[in-house]
Amino acid sequence: MPQRNQLIASAALVVLLALLPLAGSRYAVDLTTEVLIYALFALSLNVLIGFTGNVSFGHAAYFAIGGYTCAILLTTYRWPLAISLPAAVVLAGLVAAVVGYFCVRLTQIYFAMLTLAFAMLVWGVAFKWKEVTGGDDGFTGINLPAMLTNHVSYFYFTLAVVTVAIAALWVICHSAFGLTLVAVRENNVRTGFIGVDTRRMRWAAFTVAGSFGGLAGALFGMYHRGMYIENAFWTESAQVLIMVLLGGMYSFVGPILGAATLHLLQVFTNQYTTYWPTVLGLILLVIVMVLPDGLIGLVSRVKARWGKT
Amino acid sequence: MKISAIIVAAGALGAGTAFAQQPVKIGGMYPLTGGGAVYGVPAMAGHQLAIEELNAKGGILGRKIESIERDDKLNPSAASSTMKELITKDKVDIVLGGLSSAVGLAMSEVSKQEKVVYIATIPKTIQMTTDKLHKYVFRTASNTDFEGDTMSLLAGRYKLSKLCNLQLDYAYGNDLEAGIVKTLGKNAPNAKIVLTLKPKLGATDFNPFIPQVMAAGCDGVLSGLWGPHFVSWVKQAKPLGFFDKIKWISGGEIASHEIAGELKGDFPDNVISNTYELWYHAQDPSHKEFQARLAKKLNTQETPQWALLGYVGVMYAAAAMEKAKSTEADKVSAALEGLTIKTPVGPLTIDPKSHQANMGQFWGPMVKKPDRAYRMMDPVEYIQPK
Repeated sequence: MPQRNQLIASAALVVLLALLPLAGSRYAVDLTTEVLIYALFALSLNVLIGFTGNVSFGHAAYFAIGGYTCAILLTTYRWPLAISLPAAVVLAGLVAAVVGYFCVRLTQIYFAMLTLAFAMLVWGVAFKWKEVTGGDDGFTGINLPAMLTNHVSYFYFTLAVVTVAIAALWVICHSAFGLTLVAVRENNVRTGFIGVDTRRMRWAAFTVAGSFGGLAGALFGMYHRGMYIENAFWTESAQVLIMVLLGGMYSFVGPILGAATLHLLQVFTNQYTTYWPTVLGLILLVIVMVLPDGLIGLVSRVKARWGKT
Repeated sequence: MKISAIIVAAGALGAGTAFAQQPVKIGGMYPLTGGGAVYGVPAMAGHQLAIEELNAKGGILGRKIESIERDDKLNPSAASSTMKELITKDKVDIVLGGLSSAVGLAMSEVSKQEKVVYIATIPKTIQMTTDKLHKYVFRTASNTDFEGDTMSLLAGRYKLSKLCNLQLDYAYGNDLEAGIVKTLGKNAPNAKIVLTLKPKLGATDFNPFIPQVMAAGCDGVLSGLWGPHFVSWVKQAKPLGFFDKIKWISGGEIASHEIAGELKGDFPDNVISNTYELWYHAQDPSHKEFQARLAKKLNTQETPQWALLGYVGVMYAAAAMEKAKSTEADKVSAALEGLTIKTPVGPLTIDPKSHQANMGQFWGPMVKKPDRAYRMMDPVEYIQPK
């Protein structure tokens, strides 16, 4: 179980966020909705990276599958949201299970390259299957239930879904299963000797990551009322990877912090200059050279120093 | 009593002047970084030129114009977020720009949701003014139906009979093909497409395609290979004598001096293509003046064609606001329907039903000139949709 003060802090944060629309800034509400979605996306990837120690370069694939599935079911087939959203998560999870089945046979760079290859395959399908996905014109005009068309109601919907999803991920990551994943990360061979089927564990982690990534994608598509092939492209996978690294992959909340920081930084940089890629490059440089544990690592280092004096 | 009346009067006056001084905010979004910057940066220069000129004359409705410019990153989701930001944070009155079809459609979607007018100044996708048309979206660029119509018209005019159809395999190529096929029977009843090939977007190696086209015995090629694709094709096909016996009728603005200048002496014979603007050709004195002002701003005589599109978009926005006597989206949208304005390339009108302006393009054969390092269009014909 989480510690009591952690629970209280999380609950306080959710309540604080829930009060945000009262501030009256439409912009702040939209921006927070985006951050929440990216936070879930980054957190889902971290099940694979931080907990299991498998770096995926193709996480955008499940984001896109979730987004496109939800969009197509809502719009083309006019299914209700209550079915479309779970169906999107299930399909993303299923595809992740199939792809993962092959990927977990490999490790390290070979694993990463195979995830990238499958993700580009998903991109290729979205590009070529024009009748269904809209091809490179994108899939626009997503049909949202009337009660979610307002930006405030969509914000509450996102907040609720993301909160529940994050809580679920917390439980998964801190369960016996989650601890086994950490053992796999720390020493794959030794964990195998204990009697753990490590490949199956990694496969399960892959599927969990894909499912929650799909949920984030579905929320993203509905927020933008459109899904585009760019959402499945490898640059999107790289971006979420950077979010995880920036926040700190060995901490549960790290990716949330990373997602918020990177997205907000990008938004604000874009308002002043077009040199975002330069800024991103500098951020990467700083992470690699001085912040290997991300922002969370920085926080604990600062804490440790203050504790001593 | 007296004092309170003065306060009220002062308050009203204050509010009045504050309102009058509030600028009209125009949002402009083009790709300013990455691969799209070649088009987006010049388009933004035209956009800025128009705003500078309007501000010099006192702005719109007597209010100064504030220009808020953003990079659309050639990414539809990023463009969608940025456009929302312009609307909700910066409170822009209208948004202009876009380049790729997907970004154009994403921006159109935001415009529909947020009820803010969006004028697409470069995206050509036909969907925008057909299936996905809504009250707040307008287009001042050409579109793939016009372009395809003109290409089939030229096929008829050059009395071509066996045609090879060469399109890039993505949205623009597919849409342009549809535009050609739709009108070929009417414009060139004797012509038949005997071969269709679709290289990938971004392809650089055309060697698998060139022999196929040569073997098909076509007397004409209808092509949608733009920019670098055309350049690569020419470099690989010209040494084989590819261009000796065919007419290459092409959309995608390869008749611009940018492409001609890149290929210089390698530019082949028998190419008939289009461009939005030719720095060395003016329709009338006002067109010439526009070119001179643009040349001064960009510090080069040989100005890029895309600036015109950015310029015309802003001029349309301004004219619509003046006509509506308001910056309110509903009134501006109503004003844009059927609106005719004078532009550097002549008067243009927005069709009230399709929200499409009858923006034309310069079409003609590219010929050698004794005093120039690159080919120029001669004779120049301005073909405008009916």
